[in-house]
Formats: sequence, structure tokens, C-alpha cells
Amino acid sequence: MELSIDRLTKHYGSKIAVDCVSATLKPGVYGLLGANGAGKTTLMRMLCAILESTSGEVFLNGKDIVAMGADYRNVLGYLPQDFGYYPGYTAMEFLLYISALKGIPRNIAKKRAAELLEEVGLGEAANQKVKTFSGGMKQRVGIAQALLNNPEILILDEPTAGLDPKERVRFRNLLSDCAGDKIIVLSTHIVSDIEAVADEVLLMKKGKFVLQGSVPDLIKKAEGKVWELAVPQEETRKWQAGSTVANLRHEGSQVVLRIISEHMPAETAVPCEASLEDLYLYYFPTEQEGVS
Amino acid sequence: MELFWLEHKKLWRRAGTKVSVLICFLYLVGFGGILSFQWFNFGSKVDFTRSDFGRNFDGYAAVRDRQAYALSFGGDLTDESMQQIIRDYQRMESVDAKRAWDLTDWVIINGWLGDLWSELHETGSYQVDISYFDSEKLTDFYGRRQQVLEKYLENNNQTGAEKAYLLQIDEKVIKPFHYGWIRGWQTVLSFMIDTSAESMALFLAIVLSALFAGEWHDNTSSFVLTTKNGWRTVALAKVLTGLAFTVELFAMIAACDIALQLFFLGTTGWDMPVQLIKLTAIAPMNMLQAEIYEWAFTLLGMIGFAGIVMLISSAVKSNVLALILSLAVVYVPTAVDPYLPFGLQKALGFIPLVGSGTDIFRTYTFHIFGNYVWSPYLLITVPVLIGVGCMPFAVRKWSRRVKV
Repeated sequence: MELSIDRLTKHYGSKIAVDCVSATLKPGVYGLLGANGAGKTTLMRMLCAILESTSGEVFLNGKDIVAMGADYRNVLGYLPQDFGYYPGYTAMEFLLYISALKGIPRNIAKKRAAELLEEVGLGEAANQKVKTFSGGMKQRVGIAQALLNNPEILILDEPTAGLDPKERVRFRNLLSDCAGDKIIVLSTHIVSDIEAVADEVLLMKKGKFVLQGSVPDLIKKAEGKVWELAVPQEETRKWQAGSTVANLRHEGSQVVLRIISEHMPAETAVPCEASLEDLYLYYFPTEQEGVS
Repeated sequence: MELFWLEHKKLWRRAGTKVSVLICFLYLVGFGGILSFQWFNFGSKVDFTRSDFGRNFDGYAAVRDRQAYALSFGGDLTDESMQQIIRDYQRMESVDAKRAWDLTDWVIINGWLGDLWSELHETGSYQVDISYFDSEKLTDFYGRRQQVLEKYLENNNQTGAEKAYLLQIDEKVIKPFHYGWIRGWQTVLSFMIDTSAESMALFLAIVLSALFAGEWHDNTSSFVLTTKNGWRTVALAKVLTGLAFTVELFAMIAACDIALQLFFLGTTGWDMPVQLIKLTAIAPMNMLQAEIYEWAFTLLGMIGFAGIVMLISSAVKSNVLALILSLAVVYVPTAVDPYLPFGLQKALGFIPLVGSGTDIFRTYTFHIFGNYVWSPYLLITVPVLIGVGCMPFAVRKWSRRVKV
């Protein structure tokens, strides 16, 4: 199975949200990283065929996904970034409704919905109304609905938003369990989630893929650009304003800064091991990097 | 089929649907039905200085009194029975005017007298015609009606082939007219069913405008549109749901109204011609046939309107905008109607629920392909065709709009 993105472009008026993006996705977990407005959601909506591209196409095994229509949607699972629920529906009723939309026979749907609710930790809340759920619980219902049809292509837009650390671990495990021969594309701001589950990372900036590769390969690109520097507390603000500070911690009267920089920021700075988060900060030193 | 049931269930589970149907039911069945029959339409009058809301709460008994009184004149409306009706009214009025006004159809009959025997009218008289017309001079009821009808058509510039066409329809009216208490049927046929249609338009719009647009409002459209059945199949299920809801709302209101009508008015007078309500009507219909026509008109108009509302709902993403546009379809033409040229007024009647089932009392025609067609024939068919024609577009709009 192969999902090919061929020069995919989306303009909103004069603004370019996705700019001639190409990639070939094979079974595996792809982490989509980028600042707010980098074009991740727009790209994902085009991958789901619910947003028409300005130009370019997406092919599944050589077939245009728009032309495939229901056949494509039959193998697709999608968790949107922002979503709502039908007021008054319980989690089980909501999943059964989505199951019917996905064409899953009712007897199979009941079993599958119950299993998934159990897997996302909502087994006991299956018959409670979704409107009474916390944000994290709602997010888990969203994850469950995306998995209902055991999709071959799973697109998850900010799936861990609103989940507490324990729920995030549960989600990662669930994703690892069901990955198998699926193509999974997930976007998140939580870099550690991508680090934990993604086989490959696509780094988006201003509508383009600026980096693409496995987590270790990408981390290598940040090597030599991460430094630790101990400074007096009163100099902290100056360093934060003048460079990209990934972290700071107090050690006695000094503050140890983790600085992302092409060059050694000071003579006393010492190089240290890079992480994916460092790479992310290297490419997105501020959050205002995106297009829309 | 499963999706249809799920969509249907979803629609009925919406708070907006439940509240709308409840208000619609209370207004049309409670206020416009029970209270109307028992109190402010048919309750006996305490005196004539008070409004209808000053009537007694005795509609059921008062209706039976009036029906029994009207039936005492023999059943058929002839010159003799007409004279007898007038004589008896004048006798009763001289003894107990309040009783005469309450028991008889004096308003309707007074209208006949003014139309048919206008030469007997005394200019400057403070009394209504029925109080002083010489009953002996009230002859040739049907001949005079024919003359009045022909003159009425000519005054409307309905001459030549159009007049002949309308008179040909009128020839089928069975004479002599069956006579009974008229005001009950007049209220049902001239006001109640028409009001029901107008009111149900409001509640249909409230419920159905959210059918498609509600998915955007609830922010669930992304879920729906990325599923196998989330485009055409679910759109078809939604359209069927809209149709089912329309029929259900109609059936609920119509069944309750008819049951109340049977309880309070009974079936007496079902075979009276509609000409008793309006003398110049040409519809060859009795009261029962007219009622069937008006309910059918309402149902078909509602289906037509439902089609338009569903198209609007699928074309816009906002519930509120969909509702405003849907209401505008009915209420803007209704509001501007009096200020438009007559031809345009007639054409607006083709918009579902803008026209009226009471056109059976009128002599409007449409000139189509060289032939005259009496307006009720078209007004009952065209609106539903417009609405049904909108439904495939509603399906297409839902399926395609997200791609743009």
C-alpha cells in the first residue's frame, strides 16, 4: 500500500497554506510536525479528500483518492482537530451512529465500539452522555471513532490534545498495537509523542516539508547545535531574548540554559545530546512561523 | 435503511425538534383547536360589546343548538326555505336579538341578501339587511346567484373563453344546495386549515433548517464526510428523514384537528356545497371534499417547503442563516404580496405554503399554452413539484460543497 502526495497545493486567496508538497507514504507511523499555521491541518484535510486542492493530487496505490470516493473513505479513519458531538448522545450511541456511516453492520459495530471504548479507557462511561465528558474523554471518543472501521489509512490531527500524561501513554500504546500495515499520519505539538511513536517525521514550515526522515536521522541533523550554558540569574532574560532557549534549570545561584544555536553561544557553553524537540525549536524558534 | 432510522432518531432527539413540535402542538391543537372550538370561536356570546374572548366556555353545546336550528329548515335551500329562514330570524330578533345573533348564520345570510337582492337595500338604514328585507320578495335564489356570478366575473375582467370555462366548472355545482349550519364549516375551511399551514411552515423551517447545516453547527461534519456513507447515502437518508418528519408533523396536527372537529362539530353538513360559504365560488365541491382538498394542499405544500428548506440547509453552513432564508421563502412573499401587481401575486402562490388552499373559493385562473386552468388545480401540484425538484440538489450540495 502506498499513499502518494503529488505536488499538493492549497491557496486561500493570496495566501499559500500548502505549497507544492510531495511525499510517498508507506505503512508506518508518520509524525507531522510544524508550528501553528504551518499547513498541517490543511494538508490532512486534503489527505481525507474533504478539502479540494488548488493543484496536485493524492493517490492511493496509483488511484486518485477523489475519484475513489466511497472506496477511499471506506479505508480511511480521521480524527479532526476540532470536532463536536451530537447533544444527548452517549458514547456508545455516537460510535454506533458513526459505524452506520462507515457501513459497519450493526452486530459487528456493537462489539467493535465496546472494544474500542474499553481500549481508550471509556468502557465504564459507554452509556454516559458525551456532553458530560471532560475534554480528554471527548478526545478519546474521537480516537475511538477514527478506529471503528479498522482503517488502512489513519489521519489524526492533534490526537493527544487535552489528554493527560497517562492517557497519552495509553494512546501511544493503542497506536502501536493497531499500526501493523496501516499508514498513520498524526500531527501534534507534543514532540515527545512523535518521538515515541513515529517511524518517520515530516517537518512542515510555511506550507512545505522542510525535513523528512526517521527520528534518529533527524536528531542527527540537530547534533552540534544544542548547548548548555550556565549563567548568573540576572543574565537569563538577555539570553532568552537573544537566542532560542529550549530549557532552563536552576543550579545554586546559576541558571543552566539549553540553547539551540548554529554556533557555540559562549566560550563556557558545552555541547550536549540533541532531541527531536531541539530540532523542532531549531526550525521554529518562534511560534509565528506559519501561513494561516 | 439503517441510516434513515438513525437520522430520523437523531432529528427527533434534538431539543429544538422536541420544543418546536410541542409549541406547534400546543398552539394549533390547544389554542387553535380546543379553545377555539369550545371558547372564542363557537362559545355563545355574552353580549355583543365584547370581543370573541368574552364568549362563554360552552362551544360544544352551543354548536349543537345552532346545528339543530339550521336543520329545522328542511335540508335543501329553496326560495321557500330561504324566506322561512329570514322570517324566523326577524321574528326571533324582535323577541331576543342576542339569541338571534348567536343561534343563526346571520352574517353569512346577510351577505347573500346584499349580493342577490341588492335592490331591496334601503340606503341610510341603520339596520342590517336581514332585519328588514321583505321575505316574500326573496325569490329566484339560483337564478340571481347565476347573474351575480356572471357579473362578478365580468367585473374581474374574466370574460369570453375564460368566463365560459369558469361557468362550465360552476355548472357541476349540485343544486339545490343542501342547507345546514354554515359557520362551523366556514371557520374550518376559511381559517383553521389555512392557519395550520402557515404555522407549520414556521416549525418546519426551525426543525429542517438544521438538518444539514446542523452538522456544521455541531462541528460533526468532518466525522460524517470522511465516512464511506457520509456523502450521498447520508444525504439521501437526511432528505428521507426530512420528508418523514414533514409527514409526521402534518399527520399529528391534522389528526388532532380532525378529531377535535369531529368531536365539536360532528359530521353534520359535510354534504353542503362550499357556495354556502361564498356564493360566487365555482368549486363543484361539498364541505367534505373541500376539507380533503385543503388538507391535501397543506400536506403537499409542506412537502414542497421541506424540499426548499433542505436545499437551503445543505447550501449554507449556519443554522441561523438557513433558518432565516427558509422563513424568508414563505414570509417575505406573504408580506410583500399586497404591494405587487395581480399577476405576480398569483405567481407567488406557486411558492410552497405561500399560496392558500382557500383559493377554491376564488375564480382565479392561469393561462397556459392557450388554455385556462382554474388556480386550485395548479396551486396544489406546482409547489410540491418545486420542493421535490429541490431534493436532488440538496443531496448534491451536501456531497460537493466541501470540495470547493
